[in-house]
Amino acid sequence: MPDASFVFAQSLSGLTAAMFLFLIASGLSLIFGVLRVLNFAHGTFYMLGAYLAFQAMLWLGPGPGRFWLAALGAALGIALLGGVVERVLFRHLYGKEELYQLLFTYALGLILSDAAKIFWGTQQKSVSRPPELAGSFSLFGATIPQYNLFIILLGPSIALAFWFVLQRTRAGRFIRAAALDRETLGALGVNVTALYTGVFMLASFLGGLGGALISPMRATTPGMDTEVIVEAFVVVVIGGLGSLWGTFLGAVVYGQVLSFGILFFPRFSIFAVFALMAAVLIIRPWGLLGRPLR
Amino acid sequence: MLHVLTLLVAALLALPLVAEAQKPIKVGMPMPLSGPPALFGDPASKGAQMFVDEINAKGGVLGRKLELIVRDSKADANEAVRVARELILKENVDFLVGTLTSAEGPAVSVVAKENKIVFIAPIPKTDQLTAADKLHPYVFRVAATTTMEGRSAAEIVAKWPVTQVATMSFDYAYGQDVTRAFVEHLKKIKPSAQIVDQQWPKLGEQDYNPFINAQMAKKPEAIFSSIWGGFFVTYSKQAKALGVFDTIKYNFIGVGEAATPETTKSMGADYPVGIWGNSYDAFYWGETAAHRDYTARLSKYLKDEYPSSWAIQGYIGMQFLTEAIRKAGSAESDKVAKALLGLAVETPIGPLTIREKDHQANRGQLYGKTVKDPKYPFAIMKPVTYVDPSRFMD
Repeated sequence: MPDASFVFAQSLSGLTAAMFLFLIASGLSLIFGVLRVLNFAHGTFYMLGAYLAFQAMLWLGPGPGRFWLAALGAALGIALLGGVVERVLFRHLYGKEELYQLLFTYALGLILSDAAKIFWGTQQKSVSRPPELAGSFSLFGATIPQYNLFIILLGPSIALAFWFVLQRTRAGRFIRAAALDRETLGALGVNVTALYTGVFMLASFLGGLGGALISPMRATTPGMDTEVIVEAFVVVVIGGLGSLWGTFLGAVVYGQVLSFGILFFPRFSIFAVFALMAAVLIIRPWGLLGRPLR
Repeated sequence: MLHVLTLLVAALLALPLVAEAQKPIKVGMPMPLSGPPALFGDPASKGAQMFVDEINAKGGVLGRKLELIVRDSKADANEAVRVARELILKENVDFLVGTLTSAEGPAVSVVAKENKIVFIAPIPKTDQLTAADKLHPYVFRVAATTTMEGRSAAEIVAKWPVTQVATMSFDYAYGQDVTRAFVEHLKKIKPSAQIVDQQWPKLGEQDYNPFINAQMAKKPEAIFSSIWGGFFVTYSKQAKALGVFDTIKYNFIGVGEAATPETTKSMGADYPVGIWGNSYDAFYWGETAAHRDYTARLSKYLKDEYPSSWAIQGYIGMQFLTEAIRKAGSAESDKVAKALLGLAVETPIGPLTIREKDHQANRGQLYGKTVKDPKYPFAIMKPVTYVDPSRFMD
């Protein structure tokens, strides 16, 4: 039986991975929930967020708080990019067949990631952890990097903020209404077009923020987009497409299964996650907290 | 008059021969140019191109120019095979030099065998490529092998004052083979050594935290890793945050080129300075005049002050091919294949020989402990030693 400190460390590392995935997957889920498009280019927004953060760090040069500025700047940059993409391109996809949407968003991801390669080359880029959170501390015998703890706290904060906006604000009510019936909402005088752009920008912001925040823990390389989109997709399928808390739960389950999976099936923990997804798809095709589509 | 006519006719008859001699010798290069493996594929292809440009400037080989045709193999065995076939059928290449992963190399080797075309692999390391049952007259390798790399690392670790050793490798051909070679050799030369833990993340894993926690729970004194390239950046950042390197007192060796200037440069202050690693090349090595000269040329060619350590593999691959063509006096694969057997070439890294037995060059690597050097804004291996693998080759 593994000792308690190890179990604790393992669950925290699972939770860190989960909160990252939640950041990415929540954007994917939001776009699907409201716009009804499965945005496969979301992973590329995440990758571009990481690259932009790297670039912004270079531009800013040494100085206090530059990582936070860079991360925020990168996320805002990606939100802007998302806005343009929605206005110019996505607009034509609404209500089209899923196959077209899938092909289109997938192609967009490929084009953007190749553009990133032209710009940043193929060499891996690396961003340091912000000096304020570079250390680690010991808790119950486990070593916990401060940065991981920050991520673990950030995830639920974003989920709560999300919930608050969706449930308690006027904009949130419109977003929920748009998810249910776009045309009626438009007929009631709400500018649905602008609303869609706003939602898309918010989702892109989250994707870009996820990429920027993960860069101190990983290498920024071409190809990180396709990896994350698969994981985020698994998370939303497990949790329920379009459901905020479902995505949160899906991410937590994913992280823990992966973390503890390696104890039981050291070489097959990834299999455990996909087995879980398959089981969910068979038993509850709409996900743990999702709602069946009609 | 008759004399002039005869000359004219003779000249006309000779024309096609001249044209034949002027036709370039085409070399096809399937190489990953997209995705993470492009980190190495891209510079390797540029190293090959630099060699081609240089030799052409000197008039080529056998009076013919070389022409390099590079195609993206996407680090995928099926794609590499498709690209290799296309290069042979559509581009009519005379030779193949290329592939990067241990999946691509053996797959393209089969194509070379079918088409009876010489194929030189500059990067894939799996022992399978030149294993007795897979070997054929047309396949050659100028890369290190998993056996050579694993054993070289074991020699280094055996000298450390540790017995509890753990391994961290990707769960696929390269990771398994190099780890097995390391473990077997270590147990042989240091029977007191124990393998206390082995972690096998999937190829391209992004989150190593669970693997690191599980490994550290077994209290190893030293770690052998074959997490390569950009993946090592990710792994070592996470390991550093969890205090791995301090805990094991930097008794850590990263094969799979964990100490290349590219990697230490991209990580800057985040690199776990003090660990051991290896690299195919390092611009700061400069042991011989030939290497210093090569580095200066490469630096100019790539317009990079600290040029890539991967270019050398493409360069050496082309160098062996060209020397063999020269020795054979022909660009026919059958003759060139024979010329490659036992061929010794003075490469920028030193003299290398392709063994007749298994078509394998004695390509070693640079190993060293990483330190900070005030001359560079990133860590370097110091002292850096070229480990000649000849004594580790079966």
